[in-house]
Amino acid sequence: MNMDRKRINGPEMSVRPVIEAEFQPQLSNVLIDSNLQRKDNRNSDQIRPIFIKPNLIPQANGSAYIELGDTKLVVSVFGPRQNKRMAFSPSGQLTCEFKFSTFACEQRRGHIRDNEEKDISQLILAALVPAIKLENYPKSLIDIYITVLENGGTQSCLAAGITASSVALATAGIEMLDLVAASSGGFFENNKFLLDCNREEERFQQGYLVIATMPSFKSSTHLVQVGDVDLNTSKQALETAVDSTYNIYSIMNLCLKQQLE
Amino acid sequence: MKESTEIVTPGTPLGYKTEFQVGEGTYIRDEFVYASLIGEKRIIKGEDGEVDNIKLPTITVIGTQLPPIIPDVGSVVIGQVSRINSKQATVNIMVVNDKPCKDNFIGVIRVQDVRATEIDKVQINKNFRPGDIIKAQVISLGDSKSYYLSTAKNELGVIMAQSIAGETMIPISWIEMQCPKTLVIENRKCAKPSFD
Repeated sequence: MNMDRKRINGPEMSVRPVIEAEFQPQLSNVLIDSNLQRKDNRNSDQIRPIFIKPNLIPQANGSAYIELGDTKLVVSVFGPRQNKRMAFSPSGQLTCEFKFSTFACEQRRGHIRDNEEKDISQLILAALVPAIKLENYPKSLIDIYITVLENGGTQSCLAAGITASSVALATAGIEMLDLVAASSGGFFENNKFLLDCNREEERFQQGYLVIATMPSFKSSTHLVQVGDVDLNTSKQALETAVDSTYNIYSIMNLCLKQQLE
Repeated sequence: MKESTEIVTPGTPLGYKTEFQVGEGTYIRDEFVYASLIGEKRIIKGEDGEVDNIKLPTITVIGTQLPPIIPDVGSVVIGQVSRINSKQATVNIMVVNDKPCKDNFIGVIRVQDVRATEIDKVQINKNFRPGDIIKAQVISLGDSKSYYLSTAKNELGVIMAQSIAGETMIPISWIEMQCPKTLVIENRKCAKPSFD
């Protein structure tokens, strides 16, 4: 392994301790009990409690903090500022940097961004670009930085990142067509779909779905679906996730208006 | 005249496009006017008196953030000269239309944009020095790195400069500045003073 000359180097390799309780067999079939409740007493189409707080980082032009169950992340937006590296463009450029903190996941992550984080950055970028009026900011750069403080499910981090980023862009005064609300879910055995999976549920999923929408226009800006699912289940899952984004949208609006009163 | 105070967020429909003109912070899509900023919705009435020229009221959203300060073509900017060579002077733009920028933007004054007369005889080092504070006008978005600025007007040019001795100099003509301490005269493209 390479030595990182800009950091204090610890052991070349380390493995986290194995906790004895983890040897107990997992009750994988008991995701939903007979009352159609999940382990945390949710229905299949219910999201976890959500908390959004805009404008908490004074140095940033816009910022937002979001909690979605165990998922916690902070977004800061800088810009529009001068574009010094990229080529000339008559409209603005948007960049996104998504990073899990080293302490965010069960397994400790490194300081350098890995491929998963880069992929998530691209997905968040693709979800936000249609909603922003970039033509109003020629030759400028808008930077979004997302730090995950706790990972309560990777797909929910992606969805929460999109939601919090649009709140942060709005508080930065960037002109937008609409806020972007995002929602995620997972596919399980027997063509079941559960909305907003947490970390435990994610271990047993056979596929997942993440959708980002602009609810005012009832249009989607981005959709990711992975896994082998039949068509009817896919349609129903899509409708459930889209309904969930409308609920998240009203929470976003409420939080933005509350901070002005 | 102004009406009603209401807080809106991006994507909120504000009214039909047949009833309102679009102002700042709003846009039209299909048949509606939508907000594009967070802020206070305001309706500015047109003139009611004239029967033939009935104007639609203008709907605007006053953003909570100050609008981002970006130089645009025609903006009058104040900046500091950071580098000069025989063809151009590089300027760090600090103020745009009397409002300070948060981030510095880089502008360039080319040798042909320094003054409006005798363009072929201009020498950059007799018009600007590094460290001078200048007033200029944006004439183009320029290339990928910098805006193109011009000082080819009487009101544009150096507004503050320090002499070799370190004192702030006083402009004594269109092309000369004098140090009040050592009385040395240095060449600059001086701006016409404005007393606002």
